[in-house]
Amino acid sequence: MLAMDQGVVEEWLSEFKTLPDSAVSSYAASLKDKASLIPAIYKVIRENYSDLLEPVCHQLFEFYRSGEPRLQRFVLQFLPELLWSLLLAPSAARDPHTSGCIEALLLGIYNLEIVDKDGQSKVLSFTVPSLSKPSVYHEPSTIGSLALTEGALANHGLSRVVYSGPHLQRENFTAQNRFEVLTFLLLCYNAALSYMTSCSLQSLCQLSSRVCICGYPRQQLRRYKGISTRLTVTSEFLVQLITGIHYALCNGELDLGTKALDDVLYRAQLELFPEALLVGNAIKSSQQSAALKSSASKEGARSIQVEITPTSSRISRNAVTSLSIRGHRWSDMEVSVDNDPATPGGQGSPIPEISVTMPNGDSLRPRDPRPLTQPESELLGSASEVSPSHDPSPRGQEVRRQKSVRRLVDEGSGPVSAGRAQY
Amino acid sequence: MTARKSGSRLETEIERCRSEGQWDKIPELVRQLSAKLISNDDLGELLLGEAKLQLYLKENPIKQGASPRGPRPKLVEVRKHLTAALDRGNLKPDYMLEASMLMAKLSYVEGDYSEAISQYSKVNLDELVLVGVPVYRLSMIAEAYATKGLCLEKVPAASSSLSNLNVDKDQEVITCYEKSGDIALLYLQEVEKALSVGMQNRSPKPGPMAQEQELGYFLETGLQRAHVIHFKNGNLTRGVGRFREILRAVETRTTQNLRMTIARQLAEILLRGMCEQSYWNPLEDPPSQSPLDDPLLRQGEPYTKDYTLPRRPRLYSGENLFCPQENTEEALLLLLISESMANRDAVLSRIPEHNSDRITSLQSASVVYDLLTIALGRRGQYEMLSECLERAMKFAFEEFHLWYQLALSLMAAGKSARAVKVLKECIRLKPEDPTIPLLAVKLCIGALHWLEEGERFAKMVVDMGEKASEFRAKGYLASGLVYSLKATDASLRGLQEENQRKALGAFQRAQSLSPTDHLAAFYLALQLAVSRQIPEALGYVRQALQLQGDDVHSLHLLALLLSAQKHYHDALNIMEMALSEYPENFILLFTKVKLETLCRGPEEALLTCKHMLQIWKSCYNLSNPSDSGRGSSLLDRAIADRRTLNAMTLPDFSDPETGSVHATSMAASRVEQALSEVASSMHSSAPKHGPLHPWMTLAQIWLHAAEVYIGMSKPAEATACTQEAANLFPMSHNVLFMRGQVAELRGNVDEAKRWYEEALSINPTHVKTMQRLGLILHQLQRYSLAEKILRDAVQVNSTAHDVWNSLGEVLQAQGNATAATECFLTALELEASSPILPFTIIPRQL
Repeated sequence: MLAMDQGVVEEWLSEFKTLPDSAVSSYAASLKDKASLIPAIYKVIRENYSDLLEPVCHQLFEFYRSGEPRLQRFVLQFLPELLWSLLLAPSAARDPHTSGCIEALLLGIYNLEIVDKDGQSKVLSFTVPSLSKPSVYHEPSTIGSLALTEGALANHGLSRVVYSGPHLQRENFTAQNRFEVLTFLLLCYNAALSYMTSCSLQSLCQLSSRVCICGYPRQQLRRYKGISTRLTVTSEFLVQLITGIHYALCNGELDLGTKALDDVLYRAQLELFPEALLVGNAIKSSQQSAALKSSASKEGARSIQVEITPTSSRISRNAVTSLSIRGHRWSDMEVSVDNDPATPGGQGSPIPEISVTMPNGDSLRPRDPRPLTQPESELLGSASEVSPSHDPSPRGQEVRRQKSVRRLVDEGSGPVSAGRAQY
Repeated sequence: MTARKSGSRLETEIERCRSEGQWDKIPELVRQLSAKLISNDDLGELLLGEAKLQLYLKENPIKQGASPRGPRPKLVEVRKHLTAALDRGNLKPDYMLEASMLMAKLSYVEGDYSEAISQYSKVNLDELVLVGVPVYRLSMIAEAYATKGLCLEKVPAASSSLSNLNVDKDQEVITCYEKSGDIALLYLQEVEKALSVGMQNRSPKPGPMAQEQELGYFLETGLQRAHVIHFKNGNLTRGVGRFREILRAVETRTTQNLRMTIARQLAEILLRGMCEQSYWNPLEDPPSQSPLDDPLLRQGEPYTKDYTLPRRPRLYSGENLFCPQENTEEALLLLLISESMANRDAVLSRIPEHNSDRITSLQSASVVYDLLTIALGRRGQYEMLSECLERAMKFAFEEFHLWYQLALSLMAAGKSARAVKVLKECIRLKPEDPTIPLLAVKLCIGALHWLEEGERFAKMVVDMGEKASEFRAKGYLASGLVYSLKATDASLRGLQEENQRKALGAFQRAQSLSPTDHLAAFYLALQLAVSRQIPEALGYVRQALQLQGDDVHSLHLLALLLSAQKHYHDALNIMEMALSEYPENFILLFTKVKLETLCRGPEEALLTCKHMLQIWKSCYNLSNPSDSGRGSSLLDRAIADRRTLNAMTLPDFSDPETGSVHATSMAASRVEQALSEVASSMHSSAPKHGPLHPWMTLAQIWLHAAEVYIGMSKPAEATACTQEAANLFPMSHNVLFMRGQVAELRGNVDEAKRWYEEALSINPTHVKTMQRLGLILHQLQRYSLAEKILRDAVQVNSTAHDVWNSLGEVLQAQGNATAATECFLTALELEASSPILPFTIIPRQL
C-alpha cells in the first residue's frame, strides 16, 4: 500500500471523528469530491494484512449508523468487495482477526437494516397490481375479458405481498445464516443501485463471477487464479446478484456484466436452481432482443434507447389472432344479435347483455374477420391502387418491417386472399 | 330554407370527413359546396389543397429519420390551391389560419424549413383556440406543432457558439413536440367520442365502418419525438415523466399500440435503470436531482416543463385509483397492461403467409414475458409468474424459451408435477441440453417421489456421455440417488440389493468423474453407510468434508458413522460442532437428543428438547402470516411451501424414527394430513393455517420429548408431550405409536396393542410399530401372527437389528432353534454397525 493512499485514508478517518452533528450532511455531500479516497479504501479492503482495515470498517459502520442516506450509500458501494473478502475468509489463509472486523461491519449493517425506526422488525412488502382494479394507467373495462381462473379470482383485489422479512437479529455468521444475511445485504445494495459508481458495479460483477466459478472447470476458462475451492451459494443469493448484474449490464458495464451473467447461469445450471435460471434466462433473452434492435449503437454509458415506433398494429388484420378468434366464437353463438353491427342494441334484442360486453365487443369489431363484404373489398381496392410499384412479396420480412404503417396494413390484404383460398 | 339546411349538413359532412381523414371524398363535397354559394370558392380551394396534400402524403409517406424530398408536380397543385385560398383574403379568420398552417406544412414537405418557420410565426400557434373547435382542427394544430419542431431541429441555430442558445432551442423544440403530443392525444380522444356518438345517432346507412384511425408521420412524431430527445439527452427523469403523461391519458383505439410499446419501454427503464431509492411515483414531482440523469446534463440547465394548455387530454381518474409506490410495482402494472394487449394479438394461424406476423407477435410478447419474469423473480413471486407464463403458452408452439421458462417457474412455484410434464416437452425441443433432464430428476426424487420417471431422466443424461461434459457426473449422481431411494422402497430383498449395488456403482462413477465435488463423495459415503460398510464410508465422508468443510449433511453422516462404531462421545462432539454452524437445524438437534440420552443422561436431552421449542418459536412465531405465499390452488397451498422447506432441510413427510422418505410413509403422511385436518376442523382450537411443515416440526419435537420421558419411565409427562403432538396431528402414526409406548410403560398391554394396530392402519410399514406389536403378540403367545408381522418388518427394513432380535425370540418360542439362532446372529452382526438413528434420515436430494 502506497504511503499516499494511507495518508488519504488516515485523513478521512480522523476528519469524521471531529465532525459536529450539524455538519454531517454537508460532509456527506462533499465526499464524492475526494477522488483518491474511494480507490484507497478499496485497496484497504482487498489487502490482507492492512492495519487500516479495522479502523476503516469501524468508520464505515459509523457512517451507516448515522442514518444519512448519502453516507449509507457511500458505505454500500463497498459491499461487493466486502462480501468477497468475507466469502474468501474461511478458505484463504486470512488472518481471522481481519475478517472478523468485516464480519462485524456486515452484521452491523444487517442488524440496522432489518428493523425500522422504532426497533420493530421490518417487513418489506409490495402491492401486486391487478388489472381488475382501475389504476393511473388503465381502466379495467378496456382490458377485455380476463381469463377466469382460480388464480385470477384469488388476486381479484390488490394484494400486499411480503418479499423479505421479518428477519432475526444475528450476532455472528454461521454456515446456516450466512447466505440469509448476505442475500438481505444485497437486497439493500440493489435498492440503491442507481447511486452506485461504475467501480462498485464492476466489483459486483467480479464478485458474481468468482463466487460462481471458483473450483469449477470454467475457472480455467476465465483464468482466475485466486482460490480454487468451491463456494456454496443459494438460489436466492444468485437472484439478488443477477438483479445487480442486470443493472450493471444496462448501465455501462456490458462486457463484465455479460460475463458475470453467463457465470451465474453456468452455476445455476450446475446447482439446478430454477429461480436463478428463470431470471437469468429472461435477462439474457431480453438483452439479446435489445441487441438485435440496436446492434450498431454502442453508446457506452446507458443502454436505454428509445426510438419512434410505428403506432399502428404491426400484425396483419387478416391473421387469426386470439382476439379475432374470440370474436369469432362470440358471433357464431349470437348471430341474431350481432347481425347488424351498425345498430348495436338498436332492436329489441337482449340489450343488457350487449351493453355489458360492449367495451370488448366494440374493440373486437374492426378485426372481426366475419364482416368480410364491405371494408375488406375497400381495402383490397386501395391496395391494388397503391402497391403495384413495389409489388409486395408477403414473405420478405425484412423489407416489410421497414415499410410504413399504411403499407403494412394494405399489404396484409395480399396474403388474405391466398390464405382464405386454403380454408 | 332547404338549401340553407342542406348547406349546413354539407358543412357537417365536410367536417366529419376532415376529422376522420377521408380525403378522397372531399373533391365531390367541394363540388356540391361551390354549387351553393360563390363565397365558398376560397374555402373550396383550401379544402382541395388540404385534401391533395394529405393524399400525397398518404401515397408518399415520409419515413422516420428521412428528409422530405422537395417539390413534386402534385405539390405544385397543392400550392396553387392554397395560394388561391389565401390571396383573396375572403376567408373567415379561422380558415385563414388553417390555410397558413397548411402552407407551412407544405413548405416542410417541400423541404423549405425556414419558410415553414416563418409561416408558423404568422399563425402564432400558442394563441390558437383549443376549446370548442371542430375536431379536425385539433389534429391540424397538433401537426403544426410537430412540424414546427421538426423544422426547428433542421434549421441550424442562429449562433451555435453560445451553448445557452442551444439549450433554449432544445427547450423550444421539445416544448413543440410535447404540446403536439398532448393535443394529438386530445384529438384522438375527441375523434373516438365523435365516432361513438355518430354510431348511435346515424341512421343505419352503410356508412364507413369505424376504420382504424391512422396517425401519420406528423402526429406520430409529435407523440414520440419529445421523449426520444429526452432520452438522447440523458434526461431520464423528464423522459420517464413524458412516458407517464402519455400513458395516463385515457386510451383510444389508435393509441393502443403506442401505449403497448411505451408501457413496455417504461417498464424496461424502471427495471434496468432505476432502483427503489431513486424512484418517484407517477403522481409525485420528480426529484430535483436524480442519479438517473446524465451528470453532464445537470451542469447545464435541464429541460423543465413550463407550458400549460387550455385543454388537456382526459386522464384516467376516479376514486381509489391504484398508483404504484415502487419501481417493481409500476413495472408490473405496465407489463400486465402490455401483456394483455400482446396476448390479444397472438397470431394463431400457422399458414406460411402469416409467418412473419406470427414472429412479430411472438417477439413482442416474449419481450413482455421476459420483463415480467425479471420483475416477479426479483420479488420471489413465482406463483404469479407461473400463471402469467401459462398465458404465454398460446405463443409457445415449438418455442423452447417459453416452454423452459414455464417449466422453471412451475418448479420455483412448487408445482412439481406440472413442471415435470412441461420439462418433458422442453427435452423434446432441446434434447442435447443435460440441465433439463437433471431438473426433472430433481423434482422426481423430491416431493413427487416418482422414481421410475426419475430413473428415465437420469439415464438420458448418462446416455449423453461426453457431450454432457460437466453435467455427466451430475447425471451419475442423479441416477445413484434414484437407485438409492428405490433400494429403500424395495420390499424384496433381491431388488433391494440390486438397487443398492447400482446406486453404489453410479456414485462411484460420479465421484471419479468429478473428484472435487463434495456431493459425489458424500452420497458415496452415505450409500456405503446404508449398506453398513462403515470404515469405507468414513473415508469418503472425510473426503467430502475436506472439499466442503461446513456441509451439514456430511457432518451429520460423520456423527452417525461414529455412533455406528459406538464412539458416542465423538459423535456428540461432532454434532455440537455442526450445531454451532447450524444452530437452527432440527434434524441435527433430533440426533443430538438421541446421543445425549445415551452419553449424558435424559436430563440433558430434555434440555435440548426445551431448547428446540425455543428455536421453533423464534423461527416461526416471527414469520408473518401473510408470508405464506400466494398459492394459486388450494391443493398447492396445502402441500407446503417449498421455499422455506428448502431452507429448513427437514425431511419432509418423514417420521422421526426412520426419517427416510419412504413411499408408504409418504402416502401415510398425506393420509395423516387429511385426517388431521378433518379432526381438527371438528374442534377448531388447533392452529393450522399456513405451511404445514413448521407444525410437523413442532409435533416431532414433542414426540422426541415424549420418548425421552418414556426412557425415564415417566408415563405422565410422556402422555402430556404426546398429547401436544396429538393436538397438532391427531391421526399421525407416530403419535399413535407413542401412545402405545406409554400404554406399554403403564403395563396396559391390550391398550398398547390397540394403539399399535391403529398406527399400522395408517402406516402399514412403520417398522418400529411392527416390532413392538410383534413383541406384544409374543407376550400374548400368538406366535405365528407375531412371526408374520416381524417377517414383514424385516422385509421393509432388513437392517433393523432389534426386529431380527425379536424375530429370533419368537422363533425360539416356537421351538425353531436353528432359525432363531440365525436371526440372533444377524441381529448381533447388524447391531455392531448400527447407528443411533438410521442413516436414511439424511435427506437424499439433488
